Order: sequence, then structure tokens, then C-alpha cells
Amino acid sequence: MGLHRFKPLPSGRMGTLWTLATIRNTALIEFGCMGHLLYSGVSLKRAGVIDACKLFSTHIDETDIALGRTERLNQTVDNVIRHHHPAVVFLLPSAIPQVIGTDIPALGKELQAEFPGVRFLSFGEGGFDVIKHQGVTAALLLLAKELPLEVAKTAEPTFNIIGSCADMFRFQADADELVRLVKRVFKMDPLCIMTSDTTVADLEKMGGAHINLVIRREGEPAAIHLKKRFATPYLTERPYGVDGTTRWIEKIAAITGLSVNATELKEEQQVTQRCLAPALPTFRHLVRSHPEETRLSLGGHADVVKGILAYGCEELGFYQGTCWCDCPQMGNDRIPYFSESEWITALEQHQKGFLMTTGEALKWSGRNAEMQIANPDTQWRLYRQEPPFVGFRGAIHLANLWMNANTEED
Amino acid sequence: MNELKHLKHLSEAKSANGINFLNPAVSPGTHCPMRMASVIVEEIKGLSSLLVGMPECTTHSRLFSPNPEGTQGELHWLYVLDAHEVVFGCREGLVEALHTMDNAGAKAILIIGTCVPELIGEDLEGMIYEIQPQIKAQLTFVMLGQFKNVSYPTGSWKTLRAMGALMSEKTTDPKRINVLGRSPVEEHIEMPSLLPAITDRGFSLSYLAPGANLDDFANGRKALLNLVVSPYAQPLAERMKAEFGIPYLELHNRYSVADIDAIYEELAKYLSVSWQNTFNEERQEVLALETRAKQVLNGLRFILALRIDLPLPLSVYLGQLGMNPMLLHLEEYYPEDKKHAAALMAMGYDPLICRMVNDEFDLETVEALSPDCYFGYLPDWERKIPCIPDVFDFYGTVGYRRTHHLLMRILAVIDNDELLEKGDR
Repeated sequence: MGLHRFKPLPSGRMGTLWTLATIRNTALIEFGCMGHLLYSGVSLKRAGVIDACKLFSTHIDETDIALGRTERLNQTVDNVIRHHHPAVVFLLPSAIPQVIGTDIPALGKELQAEFPGVRFLSFGEGGFDVIKHQGVTAALLLLAKELPLEVAKTAEPTFNIIGSCADMFRFQADADELVRLVKRVFKMDPLCIMTSDTTVADLEKMGGAHINLVIRREGEPAAIHLKKRFATPYLTERPYGVDGTTRWIEKIAAITGLSVNATELKEEQQVTQRCLAPALPTFRHLVRSHPEETRLSLGGHADVVKGILAYGCEELGFYQGTCWCDCPQMGNDRIPYFSESEWITALEQHQKGFLMTTGEALKWSGRNAEMQIANPDTQWRLYRQEPPFVGFRGAIHLANLWMNANTEED
Repeated sequence: MNELKHLKHLSEAKSANGINFLNPAVSPGTHCPMRMASVIVEEIKGLSSLLVGMPECTTHSRLFSPNPEGTQGELHWLYVLDAHEVVFGCREGLVEALHTMDNAGAKAILIIGTCVPELIGEDLEGMIYEIQPQIKAQLTFVMLGQFKNVSYPTGSWKTLRAMGALMSEKTTDPKRINVLGRSPVEEHIEMPSLLPAITDRGFSLSYLAPGANLDDFANGRKALLNLVVSPYAQPLAERMKAEFGIPYLELHNRYSVADIDAIYEELAKYLSVSWQNTFNEERQEVLALETRAKQVLNGLRFILALRIDLPLPLSVYLGQLGMNPMLLHLEEYYPEDKKHAAALMAMGYDPLICRMVNDEFDLETVEALSPDCYFGYLPDWERKIPCIPDVFDFYGTVGYRRTHHLLMRILAVIDNDELLEKGDR
């Protein structure tokens, strides 16, 4: 990875942690130095993850390393189970056990035999060539493989959301908007919001859902597994904009065979259009007379960038500026992966138009912090009822941001 | 109590490594030494840093040092090891990174090694020795793997000690004195009356601590004497004594009036000055409080919890006031702590020692021990046990006034009828 001025690509271990840390009535035990988990916990609190998975570290010292001792893990597990009675214990390695080759899955098996009343799940993805997105993918898949029980489909239609994880900016607000919409237009309740708002019991019931809504590509392997096991269809898409959200709803209807409540959908669309109406003349004027000011430059998760770009360009007529994603494995011709030096250059060269990217990059470059669409974040997010980016409300929110950004430029 | 069987007594402690956790499940645990290094380098004007580690450490360091560049051209950059470097070392990449920072204008660079570089044995000292002649920026380093340095004080004292390598000026100014461990202006920490008394007698003070300039450190060798006002700065004083022959006096671990009298007298002799009546008023106030404290506190059993900078010197003083130490949380065990431990044991006390790393479980254990009071921090919102909090904020202040504040805080909590009945009065 080398020299960095800003936060580097997070590791697979960090992706795993951010995926698991929101699951209630669980405990997560990291085998490694305590600073790792202390500051991960701080970051999670800043992101608004409250009262979820209980986080513990074993700590590890040089004698443990020299002698290959792992007793601290057993002692910690014993202590945690006695005090907290978690339904599931997640075991994670930190960087040091990865270097010295501690076999966490084998230790997990031993602990499982010792504590048969508690489920142990050991997570790997700690290799030094594994980055966050792979950690998120693997964690979602392992949860989907290990926790769902054999259950029948629910009598009334239900759905799961897969991929709402704490690593994404405003993950809770986006999940809330999607749940609100699906409940309203399909009268369909969620079984499991995987993982931002869930319990072990919710995860166990996942197989009963009628559809899995995958809102980031990292969730697709989990959805494929659930399709094989429970024959649950899935839709991988992150809905942005009015048309984009409408299409997403139509796809859900087509996949599930459920009919859309046309009255509710129409009202959603009309409310959204009425809110957008005051902004549309300005957008049309900008597109026609000042097209350079509608250049949409976006940096962040590939699915977020793709969705917001489609809303701006296809629904409002904006032009694509410099767009990039934050994962080397997700880049393509239209939205390539940018390394740190490349996105620094993009920010330095940005002159006109809308620039939306990470909080860290916006703050450093002195740009409008309201235009944040991705992490790393620099602020606290204790209030989860912030406006979303996805769905109909997200369409209004994004338009509002663009109007304000344009006003500020004036 | 069975829960305490795994703990050692103070008499068994040989170093910081032998102190066991009170409860094994760490949550949230104590700060990593890297945190203190990141905070300190950001607060020394003109000093750049290169933090070397894995994505976790480099990412988390931005919680404490959020800006990659400072206001005076400082660079606070990160070096992240990749999979190849974890196996084969990162020397080549680091050398290139340091050249890049040198070319970008860094004046001096402190390299902060975290867990994995320390684990794989990256030889930063050798690398600096080899490349310093090619680089304009002065280089120094600190290794802070948490598996070797359990808690945050190591990050402070090792970082400050590493600054000794940047002391290049060799002339001596007989009227210059270094104050090690505080800034001239601390927002929440009172200026000890001793320091202006020294300047009133014709000496200049140079403050070496977070908040200082790189130049203050570069000129550190010019001083006649070092005054240590924080435990975090004593290892730097030791280094300056060993390498430059600059003597030092410890002010930070003197609580009793008798101890403060002795060190002030020693300082006056060294400087060939007289304090005359400068400290009389504050000294008399503390003497009166000490008398009252001995009446009130005698026989009370106490526990030291988190956020206490000087647990052993404080325990010695509390022991002198008649209090009985039951359990001490020790964040660090400095070499000089051996003499404080001996002093405590000479009074007949040999308390259990521990590290408190789980707020919730540790509070339960402390409550089960039923001390008469505890000092420091525990998440005890119901205040079931009388607590003297905020002992941490005495960092950087010394002398009679500190003891005055300490005793006032203790007496404000303890001096009530219910507790008085528990003491030996």
C-alpha cells in the first residue's frame, strides 16, 4: 500500500467487523492488541452504532506471541458468556495473529465444544492482501450460510435487506427509507435488515422471506446462497432517483408476483415530484445555459456512485464529471477505481459542477461538507433519522443538496 | 475473593509487563501507545511524522491526528504495509517514503512504528543510521507495538524520549532551565507558582512538551538543569542526563509538604537562590489541610481506578495520611516506581495491583471489594462508592498548590459523618 496522506483502503478485518458489529444479542471477540478494537468501537459509535454487538478484545502480549499462547481467548470467552449470555460469539483475528498464524477457526471449534449452548462463528478474511469489500462479502456470506434456520416461507410476504452495513455512509437512513417504501407499496414487512438493524433471531428467520433485496454488490454471494437453499429470489440494486426507485419497485413486483399498491406508489411519486418541482427549472436552466455547472463528480462506493450518477444524468440531464469508486475490484470504464493520488488530483482539478465524495476528502479540500456520500467520515452520526440518499426521499434530498451547492457557488 | 486470585501484590511487580488484568475480557480497554504518539507529534510545531503500520493503526491514528498537513508545513503521513512487506520487511518502501517527505519540506520526522513493524523486527534505528546522511530532515523513531507496550503512558514517554535525538544545539546557557512535561500555557492546568518564582530570579524557562516548537527541542541541550513535572517526561530527562550530562530534579511525584520542602530546597541550592517567603502562604494552607486529612482519612481503605497518572507516589502520600491501599490500577510501572513501591511497603502496605480493562466488570469487582472510597474513573453513575474523580488533571502541575487541590477534593468527598465513622478516629 505504501505512503498515504489519508486513510488507506480498510482491511478485510475491518470490513468484517463493520458488518458484524451492528448485530444485536451477539458478542464479538477480537484476538489481538486491545487498541485495535478500542478505536474500532469509537469509530462505530461515531457512525451511530449503539446498543448492538458487544465488542471485546483479548489483548495479546509478547509472551503470548513467543509461546503461541491463546488462553486469553478462552478466559475472555468464559467471562463474556457468563456476564452477557450472547446468542452468538463472533471470533476475529487482528493483524498480529494473522502474522503469527493463529488458527482462529480451530480455536472456535474447541470453544464450541466447551460452550455448547452458545454458537461460535470464526471469521477469516484477515489476510494482508484482503481489503474491506472482500471482508464485507465474506462476512455476509458466512452469516447467510451459518445462521438461517430451516423455516417455511412466511404466510404474508416478507423481505430481507442484504448489505446494509456500518461501513457505508448514512447506512441506517438508507435502510430505513427502503423498508418504509417496501412496506408502503407492497404491505410487506422485513424479516432481517442484514446487518444494520438485526438480531440473531432475525438472521435465523431469513429463509422465510419472499425476496432478498441486495443493496450492494458485496451482498450478492449471500443472496445466491439463500436462493439455492431457500429458493428465495433476489434483486441486486440500489435505487436512486424517482424513475430509478420506481423501476426498482416494479422489479420487486415482477420477481415476487406481488402487486404494487398503485395508490400508495402514486402518492409517493407525486409528493416527490411536488418537492422537486421548485428545483427543476433551475436544473433545466443550468443544463441548458451552464452545463459545466451540472457536471456531476462522484467518488465512493461503486454502487452509490453508479446510482447517484444515473439519477443526475438520466433523470435531470446533468453531465458526468470525474467519477471514481473506492474498490480496485469494482472499477470499470465509466467509474474507474482511483488510488489516493488519483482522487487527490481529481479534487485539485475540480472547478465547476457538483463534487460529492468522502467526508475526509471534502474536509481536506475545503469543499462543501454537506456533499458527503461516502466514508471515511470526519463527523459524529448519532442521529440516525438523517435524510437518505436512496428511494424517493433520497431523490428529494439529493436535489436539495445540488440546489444548495449551486446557490453557494453563486 | 476468587476473582482476585490471579492478581499479584505490589511486592511481586518487577515491570509493567507483569501486571495482570482485573478481568480478562477487554472492553473497551486502555488507549494504545500509538494514540499518545500521534497526539504529541501533532502538537509539536514544526515536527513531521510518519506512522508505519497496518490499515487499522493508520486509519485509527486519524482519530487523533486528523490532518495530513499542519499549519507550519508539518507532514503527518502514513505508511501502510502490504502483504509482501509483512513477510519481507518494509525498509525499501520506508526509505522511499522518507525521501518523499524530505523533498516535500519536512524539517524533522518522527517515525512511529506500530505492532506489525515491531513484530517483524523492522530495524528503524539501523535504517535511520544509514539514510540520515542523505536526508536533510532530522530523523528519529519510536517503536510502539502494543503487545510490548500495554497502555498509553509508554506512547507518551517513549515519544518524548525519542525527541532527545533531535537536540542538536551544543552550547550551554547557565541561565536556561528546561521544564519537561508541560507547556507554558495549558488550558486546564494551573501554572505552578514555582516556575514564575524561578524566572523572577533571572532564569529563563524552556518548556519541552506537546505545545512546544521543534526549535525548543533542538535547543534542549543548552539548559543548565531539567525540571521534570510529568512522569511522561522523566525518561527524556534520563536520556538527557546520560547523553548530555544535564542533571534533573523530579517535581511531579512530590505530594507531602515535607517532600515538596525538600525538593524546593534542593532546587534553590542548585540555582544558588533563596525562595524567601514566596511559598509561605500556600505551604501553610496545605499544612493545615494535611492535619485535617490525617484526622479524617486515617484507616480508610481505598482503590485506585483508571486515569491516575502517578498511582504509586499518590498511594505513598495517601498511606502517609493513614489510608490503606487495597487494589491499585497501574497503567504503567516506571523504573523509579520501585522506590515508591518500597516506600509503600515500608509503611506495611502491599496492595494488589492490576490493570482495569473492562469498565463494567471491573466496577462490579470494585463494588464487591467494598472500599471506603476509590480514586479515578469507573463508570459508576450511581456513585455507590464515594469517589474522588479527576485526579488525572493534576498532570503538569506540581508543588503545594497541587497537594492543596488534591486534599480539597478528597475532603469534599470524605469529610462527612457516615465515612468518618468508618475511619480510626
